[in-house]
Amino acid sequence: MADNAELESFRREWREEVARRSKPRPTPPTTEAVPSGRVPPSQHEASHREDLEDEGPPPVSFDPEDLAHQVGELSIQPEAEHEDDGFTRRTVQEPKSALEHFERAVEKEAAGSLGDSLTHYRKAYRLDASVDKTYRDKHFAHVWKKTAQPAASVNSETTHATAPADKAGEMLPTPELLASFAHLPIPQAEPLVEDTPPPPCPISKVPSEVISEILRHVALRDPANFGRTALVCKNLAYHFAHEQQIWKEVCQGSKFGFGSMHYEFACDLHGHPIHTLQERYTPFPYGVPLEVPMPFSSWSQVFESYPRIRFTGIYISTVNYSRPGAQSGFHNLNWSSPIHIVTYYRYLRFYPDGSLVSLLTTTEPMDVVPHISTENMMAARAASHKQLQRRVEDPGHSISGATDAVPPVAMNALKYGFRGRWHLTPPFPRKRPEDERAESGPNQQQNSNETEEYPDLRDLVIETEGVDPKYVYHMHLALRSPSSAKTRANPSKNTKLVWRGFWSYNKLTDDWGAFGLRNDRPFVFRRVRGWGLD
Amino acid sequence: MASPIITLTSSDGVDISVDRTVAERSVLIKNMLEDLGDSGEAIPIPNVNEAVLKKVIEWCDHHKNDPPTAGDDDDTRRKTTDIDEWDQKFMQVDQEMLFEVILAANYLDIKALLDVGCKTVANMIKGKSPEEIRKTFNIQNDFTPEEEDQIRRENEWAEDR
Repeated sequence: MADNAELESFRREWREEVARRSKPRPTPPTTEAVPSGRVPPSQHEASHREDLEDEGPPPVSFDPEDLAHQVGELSIQPEAEHEDDGFTRRTVQEPKSALEHFERAVEKEAAGSLGDSLTHYRKAYRLDASVDKTYRDKHFAHVWKKTAQPAASVNSETTHATAPADKAGEMLPTPELLASFAHLPIPQAEPLVEDTPPPPCPISKVPSEVISEILRHVALRDPANFGRTALVCKNLAYHFAHEQQIWKEVCQGSKFGFGSMHYEFACDLHGHPIHTLQERYTPFPYGVPLEVPMPFSSWSQVFESYPRIRFTGIYISTVNYSRPGAQSGFHNLNWSSPIHIVTYYRYLRFYPDGSLVSLLTTTEPMDVVPHISTENMMAARAASHKQLQRRVEDPGHSISGATDAVPPVAMNALKYGFRGRWHLTPPFPRKRPEDERAESGPNQQQNSNETEEYPDLRDLVIETEGVDPKYVYHMHLALRSPSSAKTRANPSKNTKLVWRGFWSYNKLTDDWGAFGLRNDRPFVFRRVRGWGLD
Repeated sequence: MASPIITLTSSDGVDISVDRTVAERSVLIKNMLEDLGDSGEAIPIPNVNEAVLKKVIEWCDHHKNDPPTAGDDDDTRRKTTDIDEWDQKFMQVDQEMLFEVILAANYLDIKALLDVGCKTVANMIKGKSPEEIRKTFNIQNDFTPEEEDQIRRENEWAEDR
């Protein structure tokens, strides 16, 4: 009992600390954030930076002594330059940024110095509560994330370099800039060697309507790819911005567009389609004249901003919390008292047919994400089931077969996955007959007044299997957009899922039980190579 | 019933004999034959040279028994992004020929062939970075760095990550 109380008090402290770090800046942080007396007075600075950068590169911060040396330097040097400095020149010195602390902690942990490791972990998390994410982005992104990393870093460099020029107002506004590209040809590459004929560029002879047709195929396969073609040359940039017919088709399509957005459940919990005589609502049906919905002015804007679930990747919610380990009876947390920093992940993979996979695990994204699918999950379940049976019947006979391609670590995680289904909120007031109560969940009853009159199209309802067949888990989430950062001035919209509520429903007793969302963090979307493409 | 043979003259002056049903995969030629009647005279195809015309006829010949595409074939075209195996092999030609075939299909109004060609080019673009696309097609980057950055930021949302 006493243990529990301590545990609680520690958790509370930790949470407060994390909250202080991640949320409000207005209060002067120097005085209040000193539970251990070791927080550098420069912490202030770090928090300001965090404000500026949000999801950008890890904030750089300083130990007091270093700060003393560098104050002068700091005030003169432009921020960007100085930030780059922090990463290169001083790598051999003491870690300063959250990321560096984290990296050092990983090193120490690998080397077996757990005490040091912990100190660094703690510093890292204090400086940046989401440092683990930054760390993974830096070190493991290439393993499972689609080429995002190099692009992102190039991006940030160029943004840094040109931002000031931009502010000076020398550039044309983008629409005018694009309009100026209207009649430019696709330019032919210059010869590799001077005075030799240039390499053939037959695409430059293709008329504009055929280019549109090619781009249409590109866009229908992968709109992101279409986006990349816009950076090839001015002609294609113009096409990207002005081919509203293509954008309309992308919106109507069911691979990326709204053809596969469901506004009521389209299947049961196990993924079997629900057949209905009623026509299902879809915002942009084929074969009827369509208008760009308010408040948008173009189909590309609709595709960008109208609430939409992505099938080309995974939604990940990363949760960190710490708890004291075995010897926590001692109050002072010194090197000898272990603290477990627990990281777990919630993964959601959506399918266009209205089904989804939900997985709660401590297995890291790089180990499991590429393998998350309904098929693998069912195979993992079947395998573990078979394994149990075999063990009883025929010990020594090992399982093998179809699931060979999936590494055991992923299979292990996947067998705890749940099947489920999802739908977005339709843009009309929802009729709520009494018998629909079980489906609509308790949330709707609580704030039915608001939701019925003005449904928020970004609200997402998910139902999944539970640990026991008698339970159905209800997740209520809402789509949100990541805030723009220096590196990502114009990030994809609606890629974040924030929690609204999480319940379990007991089918036998008709009981609702709420799960606490104390630790839970929003889901963020990451593309996964090959998902949702041909 | 054997289909009558007609003669097409390529831009470089070569006469090519072809079954009328094969030639009629081209809406342009079909309309021409309907308008003029089959006088037995060679039909000039001034925009297409012999090599390309033969290539196009090869395609038309293979596809002469395809069900005629309805006027509004958008629905079927929309649904398939894949190219059938024969067409894939057929399109394994150098880039100049590929675009010549596309231009000819566009001129001769052979929708299905144009479609296959555009899909083939789309496949060449698939999964590539802007620089790789430029390399693939020998396209010059005509942006200033500032313009490129401005467009990049404008279109960043489409990356979807």
